[in-house]
Amino acid sequence: MSIRIGIPRALTYYRYFPLWNTFFADLGFEVVVSRPNHRGFFEEGFKFADDDTCIPIKMAYAHTLHLKEQVDFLFVPRLLSLEPRTCFCPRLAGLPEMLKYSIPNLPLILNPYIDERYRNSRLFHSLSEMAVTLGKGPKEIKQAFGKGEMAYQHFRERMEKGEEVAELFPKIEKERLFSQKEGRRKNIAIVGHPYCLYDPYFNFNLLKVLGEAHVSICTQEMVSRENIDSEIRRLGKDIYWTFGREILGASLYYLHSKRVDGLIYLTCFACGVDSMIEPLVRHRFREEQEILYLCLMIDEHTSPAGFLTRLEAFLETLDRRETSRSMT
Amino acid sequence: MRLTVPHLGHMDIFLNAMAKRIGPEFIFPPKTSPRTLLLGMKHSPESTCLPFKFILGNFIEALERGADTIAMMSEHGPCRLGMYDVVMQQILKDLGFKFDWITMDNTRIWSDYLLRFDRERRKRGVSFWESIQAIRFGCRKVRLCEFVERMTHQMRPLEVKRGEATRVQNDCFKFIDEASDFKEMRWARQQCLERFKQIEKDDSRNPLRVLITGEGYMVINPHANQDIEQRLGEMGVEVTRTMWFTSQISFALHLDFLNPRSKRKAIKASKPYLSHNIGGECNASIGYPILFKKDGYEGVIQLLPFGCMLEAVAKNILVRVSQEHDIPVLTFSLNENLSETMITTRLSAFVDLLQKRRERKRKE
Repeated sequence: MSIRIGIPRALTYYRYFPLWNTFFADLGFEVVVSRPNHRGFFEEGFKFADDDTCIPIKMAYAHTLHLKEQVDFLFVPRLLSLEPRTCFCPRLAGLPEMLKYSIPNLPLILNPYIDERYRNSRLFHSLSEMAVTLGKGPKEIKQAFGKGEMAYQHFRERMEKGEEVAELFPKIEKERLFSQKEGRRKNIAIVGHPYCLYDPYFNFNLLKVLGEAHVSICTQEMVSRENIDSEIRRLGKDIYWTFGREILGASLYYLHSKRVDGLIYLTCFACGVDSMIEPLVRHRFREEQEILYLCLMIDEHTSPAGFLTRLEAFLETLDRRETSRSMT
Repeated sequence: MRLTVPHLGHMDIFLNAMAKRIGPEFIFPPKTSPRTLLLGMKHSPESTCLPFKFILGNFIEALERGADTIAMMSEHGPCRLGMYDVVMQQILKDLGFKFDWITMDNTRIWSDYLLRFDRERRKRGVSFWESIQAIRFGCRKVRLCEFVERMTHQMRPLEVKRGEATRVQNDCFKFIDEASDFKEMRWARQQCLERFKQIEKDDSRNPLRVLITGEGYMVINPHANQDIEQRLGEMGVEVTRTMWFTSQISFALHLDFLNPRSKRKAIKASKPYLSHNIGGECNASIGYPILFKKDGYEGVIQLLPFGCMLEAVAKNILVRVSQEHDIPVLTFSLNENLSETMITTRLSAFVDLLQKRRERKRKE
């Protein structure tokens, strides 16, 4: 029987899963992913989690708990940075230890140390070190890593075209085809950390709700790397958080290129990165006043009613703007 | 150019001493008060951390006083500190203030600190020797201040008349700040020692010893941590803290290799629990309790601003450190809704617990 490696469906799962998955699958391990969120599921993890952290971290606790019995190893990388000159939220770097010391009787955690901030071969080295301890040869590892990187590149390309979003939520695509006949549809950009955007339980199925409202969705992943870089250069300050940089660059790009009618910033309570990036985005949008801006904050107590009401009001305002503009 | 900086420990005494000798003119924000926090809270985004709010309040008050240039440090690490400058500039500009902003990046000590200092020095026509003397003078003052603070920490639990040590400490700070050359400094030192000797004390007491660790700004600034040192001292506890102005400087300049309780040693001690340095004070917060346990410290208090990204990691790991090294840890996660009662209640419960532990240990 092959070794089972568990990957919690939380945090960087929503960005780097294709890479991890292909890498492990190619080496002949069985990858087990925890089940998607549902009601009453992530409350389990809250018992173990620290009350100071944000909900995505608490969700990671819940998913780890769920995997605990099913796998031989848990894969929680110590992510400091995966792109040159930028880093992740430090909570991700401390996550392996936080899990290890908070939840009793966990299987062994594989926590390769990944820091590509100043050197860019670190990812391969730490992954291969880890794979060697699992009894794999260097040749296999190199091959698996190459395939993993390919899969990730492919995934990013598809995301840039907007394909992956559609695949995550197949229903949206159908709706889109229908509503194409009804004249111009509104474009709405949604930005936020990937784990806020793509976890349908967490954000009350925001993407689907918007799809049903005949809105076409743009996400930050659809903005190319060059555009983000040039926006950040225009800003004059190098943003050092990977996701923060992406969010800020993408929203400024949407603002300046006027490709969208509205922008929704999805954030979660007690997020350190968003607390600094959100005021910057808000300020820029307030100055220009061209594009409607809405910031939605999610915490563990938010009821869908409040969330959806604000969303509906946002869409309504967009409609009104358009009518008043066409009248003048 | 009228420069201002936020309050950070005894930095104002240091800069004041330096500025009196070689300039430039400094306008310090008034002592951090509830008004400072209110101003900061009003204008900062709600989910930023407590230090941001205090520092923003400091800047607003300093600009009201007539400062026109703000110097603020920045970094490139995972902490939010590195983004303070952009967000603060934006907020202050929205409020209608006119100012220049100097960002001093901690990752570029050479160009942002040393070369800039040298450039300024030449512009002013101050000789190299003079500027070195001025820095030495400032450092001497800060070291004396910290010496006084350490004495106060030891004296507070022993004093017979409550509040006397604090009063003497404040007098000493005044002496030190007023001293204008090395000779007067020596006199101030004498005065401080004498004043402390005069405090009536009860040597029969055997105070508990508690370490205060955690996020730097919260540990070093009494206004941010609600005078936790004084409160504990007056409950009969001898405290020490992990964060000193001089220790930060010596850490940055790699001058602390002889100190057995330096930050570098603390980071090393945290290795078994957190194998890589993830930045900020996180690793040191984990390592210090392990080191100070060997010195006979009986409890640890960790301070962090609510929502701190780094210390939250340390908080989780400290639970395990506390179990394995048999040292109780109390964590305060503070935000702007500071309540004195909450702090006093929790502190006195903690002190009671430590007292009980000690009695139980003695019986065994």
